[in-house]
Amino acid sequence: MKNYANNPTIDSGVKRNIPIKSKRKKNRYIENIQKHWMLYLMILPGLIYYIIFKYIPLLGSVIAFQDYQILNGIMNSPWVGLENFYHLLNYQDFHEVLRNTALIALYQLIFQFPAPIIFALLFNEIRLMIAKKTIQSLFYLPHFLSWVIVGGIVFELLSTEGVINAFREILGYEPILFMQEKEYFRTIVVFSGIWKEVGWGTIIYLAAITAINPSLYEAAVIDGANRWKQTIHITLPLLFPTILILFLLNIGNFLELGFDQIFNLLTPMTYSVGDIIETYVYRAGILQGQYSLTTAIGLFQSVIGFALLWIFNRLARKTGQGLW
Amino acid sequence: MRMSIGERCFQVFNYSFLIIAAATMIAPLLQLLAVSFSSPVAADAKKVFLLPVDFTVDTWVHILQNDVLWRSFFVTVFITVVGTFLSMLFSVLTAFPLSRKDFLLRKPIMFAIVITMIFNAPMIPFFLTVREVGLMDSVWALIIPGLISTFNMVIIRTFFMGIPSDLDDAAKIDGCNEFGLLFRIYLPLSKPVLATIGLFYAVGLWNTFKTAVLFVRNPDLWPLQMRLRSFFVSEEQLSTVDLLVGDYDFNTTTLKAATIIFATIPIVIVYPYLQKYFVKGAVLGSLKE
Repeated sequence: MKNYANNPTIDSGVKRNIPIKSKRKKNRYIENIQKHWMLYLMILPGLIYYIIFKYIPLLGSVIAFQDYQILNGIMNSPWVGLENFYHLLNYQDFHEVLRNTALIALYQLIFQFPAPIIFALLFNEIRLMIAKKTIQSLFYLPHFLSWVIVGGIVFELLSTEGVINAFREILGYEPILFMQEKEYFRTIVVFSGIWKEVGWGTIIYLAAITAINPSLYEAAVIDGANRWKQTIHITLPLLFPTILILFLLNIGNFLELGFDQIFNLLTPMTYSVGDIIETYVYRAGILQGQYSLTTAIGLFQSVIGFALLWIFNRLARKTGQGLW
Repeated sequence: MRMSIGERCFQVFNYSFLIIAAATMIAPLLQLLAVSFSSPVAADAKKVFLLPVDFTVDTWVHILQNDVLWRSFFVTVFITVVGTFLSMLFSVLTAFPLSRKDFLLRKPIMFAIVITMIFNAPMIPFFLTVREVGLMDSVWALIIPGLISTFNMVIIRTFFMGIPSDLDDAAKIDGCNEFGLLFRIYLPLSKPVLATIGLFYAVGLWNTFKTAVLFVRNPDLWPLQMRLRSFFVSEEQLSTVDLLVGDYDFNTTTLKAATIIFATIPIVIVYPYLQKYFVKGAVLGSLKE
């Protein structure tokens, strides 16, 4: 033992090997910082931004496992484990909100997701360039209006003084208070969503269509395929990778419907069918101060989103293409 | 090329369908414009479609004298101008080092940033953080928490990476440091992409709503969208006079229509310029994937 401890060869060998390696590594970074200190200086503001406004809130999600009280802060609030999550499962409001969110998300996926694909294919059939440009310009416009304005327009159109009810009156029907009736709410959400975003959504698909090699169509014409067959057998299959990627990006945000849209279409009369996670979290969390419970809801939402993304990405990889 | 009967039918259907659909994109705005120039009696009697009935400018005279509306308008102008500038500056400064091969921390930092796109913090911890930072109830709360959009930053980075590195060597020989390289060589070469991203930021800031709902309680600091929302929720705020007392040639219907048009006009004015750039930008975004 003593011998080993005093043996200079063993001792120095051990000591030398490790420090030299890490020293070299350190030197590499120090050298890089010295040589390119300006790059480090440049990225500093951005890094600070990401730490404060992305990472700290992410770490702050731990209050979902606490009974968070503002005066105590995160450090001194008591830990409660999964209590908030158990509480959620037995919470009537949460069931309703989750059902609304899932249903609206599903309707959007079924109706709103395919809409830009269909419209892109229809745009593609217009040969008259002037007509195509004009129609596209009009379709892109609503994307740039805020949901406050679109919500205002929707309320105006569907009010008792609105155009829709004016037509109903001409046809001899009674006016309907569309925005106050539960049965119309989800339909209105889907339609207004399509109206606002369908044009914008076509851009990516149209870009993908222009990238298709024209010789494929020429060959198909020689084989006697008409426009319909060309669309079904060439355009659609070649659009599939784009569709798949957009679908995956979409599914990761499945339960994030967009606060602005729902918030601006919702009225207290339609809460029971239209109150979604984000609007509920805003009311119960920010207005009423139930911070821990609503953070638990937020985490739940993120976990579902990530799980869906993971599952569908695995499925997509079987067809040879996924996000990762 | 000759078309079969089926194809000709389809063409007729397709043109009519798309023209009608395109008309619905603009018709609601035109109708509100017509209502805003109509008399309240005609507006409430559902007589106004695309042309004003009993033409009057009283609604607009009243709207344009509404100080509260103008105040919000200038808050929005301020956050749009200052916010776009700061967002561009921060995005460019972050994107440039991340595009450099000689920046050793490029990969770990890029990874850490992309992670935040997948794992977004829930609303409440985000709200509490912004409050802790002391931004509540200030116009900066509308600019700083959303300063960098990762999506936009990545587009700029991708563009920087496509600029040939021969230029770097030439710049270095001329004694250009890295700040000079970014501001004198990379930025001038990136004008189209910077215009696109700048417009994305500007439109987002003009339409700022959610951050105002979360962080601004003081009505004096409300941006335009927030003000409109409060008008819609409590219609009596629309007018500065009591509509039930006295005889006016406007009412809440015409005032509401006019405020919607008021907030839309700036977007419609810049729309032709917007259009020139955003299609390019939307496609650039898809390259990243």
